[in-house]
Amino acid sequence: MEQSISAYKVQELPPPSLADRAKEARKLIIDMAATPTGCHIGGSLSVIDLLIAAYAKYGHDTHSSIILSKGHAAAGLYAALYVYGILPSNPAESYGKQGSLYTGHPNHKLPGIPFATGSLGHGVAYAAGWALAQKLRGTEGLGIAIGGDGELQEGLIWETAQIVQAQSLSNFIYIVDCNGGQNDGYVDDISPIRNLKERFEAFGFAVREIDGHQHDAIFDAITPDGEKPIAILARTIKGKGVAALEGNPDAHYAKIPANLAKRWKVSLS
Amino acid sequence: MTTATLSGRDAYKDELAKLAETEERIVCLEADLGGKNHPFQTRHPERFLNLGIAELAGVDIAAGLAEAGYVPFISTFAAFAALRAAESVKLSLGYMGKNVKLVAPYGGVSGGWFGTTHHALEDIAVIQSFQNIRIACPHGEEETRRVIREAAASTEPYYIRLSRNDAFESLARASASSCRELLVERGAVHGRAKLCLLSVGEQATELCKALTEQFESVVHAHACYVDSQSLKAYVEPLQSLADRFLVVEEHRATGGTASYLALIMPEHPVYSHNCGEQWPMYGGSHAEVLADLGFGLEPLRQQIQSLLGGSDDI
Repeated sequence: MEQSISAYKVQELPPPSLADRAKEARKLIIDMAATPTGCHIGGSLSVIDLLIAAYAKYGHDTHSSIILSKGHAAAGLYAALYVYGILPSNPAESYGKQGSLYTGHPNHKLPGIPFATGSLGHGVAYAAGWALAQKLRGTEGLGIAIGGDGELQEGLIWETAQIVQAQSLSNFIYIVDCNGGQNDGYVDDISPIRNLKERFEAFGFAVREIDGHQHDAIFDAITPDGEKPIAILARTIKGKGVAALEGNPDAHYAKIPANLAKRWKVSLS
Repeated sequence: MTTATLSGRDAYKDELAKLAETEERIVCLEADLGGKNHPFQTRHPERFLNLGIAELAGVDIAAGLAEAGYVPFISTFAAFAALRAAESVKLSLGYMGKNVKLVAPYGGVSGGWFGTTHHALEDIAVIQSFQNIRIACPHGEEETRRVIREAAASTEPYYIRLSRNDAFESLARASASSCRELLVERGAVHGRAKLCLLSVGEQATELCKALTEQFESVVHAHACYVDSQSLKAYVEPLQSLADRFLVVEEHRATGGTASYLALIMPEHPVYSHNCGEQWPMYGGSHAEVLADLGFGLEPLRQQIQSLLGGSDDI
């Protein structure tokens, strides 16, 4: 059976390290924050290491699909796809502009983005559907969703988790970017997600807790165990890499001047 | 003349199970409302998935299956398909155009005594506003089977509105014709018709069949597809039939077929026999609930007579 997979998959990995790629991607995110529209910079910087590691490991696999469900981090997704050569043009050059496909939430008209996401929760279910298709087809392909911890407040997430359990989708991997923030402030101040590990375990997931900025740890964690779906609770820092933003709930969205962008890019460690 | 043997939703299940014999990409998804002894489950258990009571996730998962090359048919009652799962339908079927077929029994008030939570008098308005989704309201077993075949052969997303358990004698449609073609069920006896009844859905079509027999200057056309693209394609054949139109549709006036036809045929008066503005709060059979809403044989007869100026032929 032929698959309707777009011809966008990652080339064989060239020499640059994941750290180098992540640094390059962070610069692009900062550049997108310096456009006239600005961008969701905090969540893009928290999730970028997860994206970089996920595409390094599965971006070449036509049977696997990586879906960013926390679509407000579109700048992070565009940056990751660009540094891997999947997107042909620098997203920072036209992000948010009239006529540009680089919209503020992922645009499925772009290479490498099978689903438009941003209305929270849906991307997790799309990835579950992909995983179900691979199970039916008998491949070893994975459905990989990358979401946020604030996003866990959506009922659709748990509706999907129920189905993932019921359908025994051991090829489904759900990475949660636990940066602790959401649009209006801290997750803990708005609608805390307590006992998250236990919640996922109750839904039949194997849970792995990692540092969401350690590429080796992410790379290792994104591995199916053959029995259960995997939930990866990735502890991250909102605004990671820019001292002025790290841990600051106001870093959710920012529009910054060009000179500040230049300083932040220089300061990236 | 074909005779009725199955309701639309039973015809759907049987036809899909048949199609799946030769089309391995078809998968059948249910949301706990497919009933026991589902023929697809019996014949293709490996491709039958009851996802449980989870309509949003179900439609999104169908989109994931479609992206991977499958042709998912997912079914739940119209109220849940079009309203509860509305955002998933908007994004997956409308915006992204994923090849998902959404099959929605219990359209209109066919749920009868089950009450408003199980009725859908707004679904066509909602789905039509999403754009790019084919909307079919087949009548009877044969037309339902054809629509299912057309949906399976198409790469377009579909919303297929069915009723509950009523079975009707199928309309006589030429064997080679597509359900996208307007079907003229009965023409005016003496020259050009004074009024064209355009029926949408099973109950409406039955009413029009009954009344056209009584009005010699009225023609009855049946529309199976009512998405905006299909309605645009009907304009020319409709104009060849009459100058005035009365759309009979088990739906609200707002967002119904009559309202869109009126927009695209501004030079022609388009009237509507619909389910009005009240909530269907009472019990009863399908026909009785419709009657409570002012939708039925006698009110339609009066509306036709009024439009004809009391001069026609009853």
